[in-house]
Amino acid sequence: MASISTRIGTFSIENPVLLASGILDETSGSILRSLREGAGAAVTKSIGVTERKGYSTPVISEIKTGLLNAVGLSNPGIENFVEEYKNFPEKRKVVVSIFGGNVEEFSILARRVEQAGFDKVELNLSCPHVKGVGSEVGQDPELVEEIIAEIKGHTSLQVWAKLSPNVTDLVALAKAAQKADAYVLINTLRAIGVEIYSRKFSLSNVVGGYSGPGIKPVALRAVYDVYKETQKDIVGVGGITTWEDAVEFFLLGARAIEVGTAFIYEDYPIYSKINKGLSDYLDSEGFSRLDDIVGVMVKDGAFKGH
Amino acid sequence: MEHSRVIEITRQNKDVFTLRFDSSIKAKPGQFLMLWVPGGKEVPMSLSDTSNPAAITFRTFGETTRAISLLKAGDRFYYRGPYGNSYPVPSGKVAYIAGGTGLASLNAMIMKYAGDVFVGARTKEDLFLLGDGYNVATDDGSAGFKGTVVDLFIPNAWKYDYVYVCGPEQMVKALIDKLGKDIKARIYISLERLMKCGIGICDSCSINGIRVCRDGTIFNIDQVRNMSEFGVFKRNESGKIEFFVNGKR
Repeated sequence: MASISTRIGTFSIENPVLLASGILDETSGSILRSLREGAGAAVTKSIGVTERKGYSTPVISEIKTGLLNAVGLSNPGIENFVEEYKNFPEKRKVVVSIFGGNVEEFSILARRVEQAGFDKVELNLSCPHVKGVGSEVGQDPELVEEIIAEIKGHTSLQVWAKLSPNVTDLVALAKAAQKADAYVLINTLRAIGVEIYSRKFSLSNVVGGYSGPGIKPVALRAVYDVYKETQKDIVGVGGITTWEDAVEFFLLGARAIEVGTAFIYEDYPIYSKINKGLSDYLDSEGFSRLDDIVGVMVKDGAFKGH
Repeated sequence: MEHSRVIEITRQNKDVFTLRFDSSIKAKPGQFLMLWVPGGKEVPMSLSDTSNPAAITFRTFGETTRAISLLKAGDRFYYRGPYGNSYPVPSGKVAYIAGGTGLASLNAMIMKYAGDVFVGARTKEDLFLLGDGYNVATDDGSAGFKGTVVDLFIPNAWKYDYVYVCGPEQMVKALIDKLGKDIKARIYISLERLMKCGIGICDSCSINGIRVCRDGTIFNIDQVRNMSEFGVFKRNESGKIEFFVNGKR
């Protein structure tokens, strides 16, 4: 049977299917459940310096091609987070997502995460619906570079940079983030939902993020563009619901993938389903390990796509 | 999101209302809707009647529920669902135990399957949807037994084959603790937690990694016993842990 183990930065993972930030990851109990049900690793809900209650409901709206959400970065704040995870049994498989409005906040969060016994952070440089943080920070290449330099300079954390697709030049942004150990591509797309009978917006915050099957082609394009230019480790995320979707991301250069919105359709069995499908695909196509298909459509002078 | 029109709103007591609405939803007893009126929040609401036309019964406790209570016949409201699992079908002798607004959810079941109903409230004024022969307990003794519905029910527990429970977390916790483990009845409990999405993705309502909205809201007593967080702490809108006053750490 083909090996589906993978590696992101220095992190060796049993399987490449991870839980994306923002879905079923507010409580340590659910993070643990994902790990027990087959996730290779799990990314937490984004944690900030202080507690945030997020937006009023409605915070989600299902549409035919996926999901709109504006939860509003609700989180208990770093100190309450650390307290909850004090005795967590699998910290090595947890990637702590952090968000901040400036270098100092990211620095405080990263140091505290490391002190608490974690060794990986995902930088939320891409939340599309909260003022002053997320993509507002993440579309400023100089600030992104500074944040990553600060964390890499003062901690031993593995740093994953989750970038926004809501920018003119994603490759330029990726290059600014090149000191990160990996890129996570992509976050949700800025979007709006309309309810035609009330003639009101679907989300209380009006603007939210669009995720799910409809954004997969956008995510694939992002992975392709960034892998082609940087060949760095990439975690692909955006609309992955089946093992076939996952294979598409690997072929374009992702070494691992994250699932989130797909929980609506597949729920917890998604981990075992994708892992099984992936392993069977590698076997039937004559590959002995996942690594053999990573980026094959981009390497070997295939840069023009044909 | 679906929309529907109000047929009528009936006032049950000082702050509990029943909204009957025009729709062809196919729901089972125990399921809930995520209900929304423009300008308000989206809130989970138990169906108190799953026949057609269906109804919800709710207590007003904030701006949104007050706005819903002020709707008039013919007004539109919006909803998602029905969501959540449903109460299993009983056989043999049946009891229902309700506290707080728990009778709203159990009412849909009581309409289909007769049984002995035990209802608890703070005072006589807090009772609602009472039927003939209901066993009532009030904290102040203003109606029925003076004490908790749990204490009213426990001496009768041995009589039943199926028991359905819906009420505040501390009531349910007290019931589980007092019942002991050698009870012969099958006991099903509908749980209540802060919910945001209703479809099992936001994690707001999770207890030990189990989602009230999607894995429940109805669990058997052993599942609830295995939740070490149950009755000990809940979470606020940020996800921060808040211990119950009586919760043992």
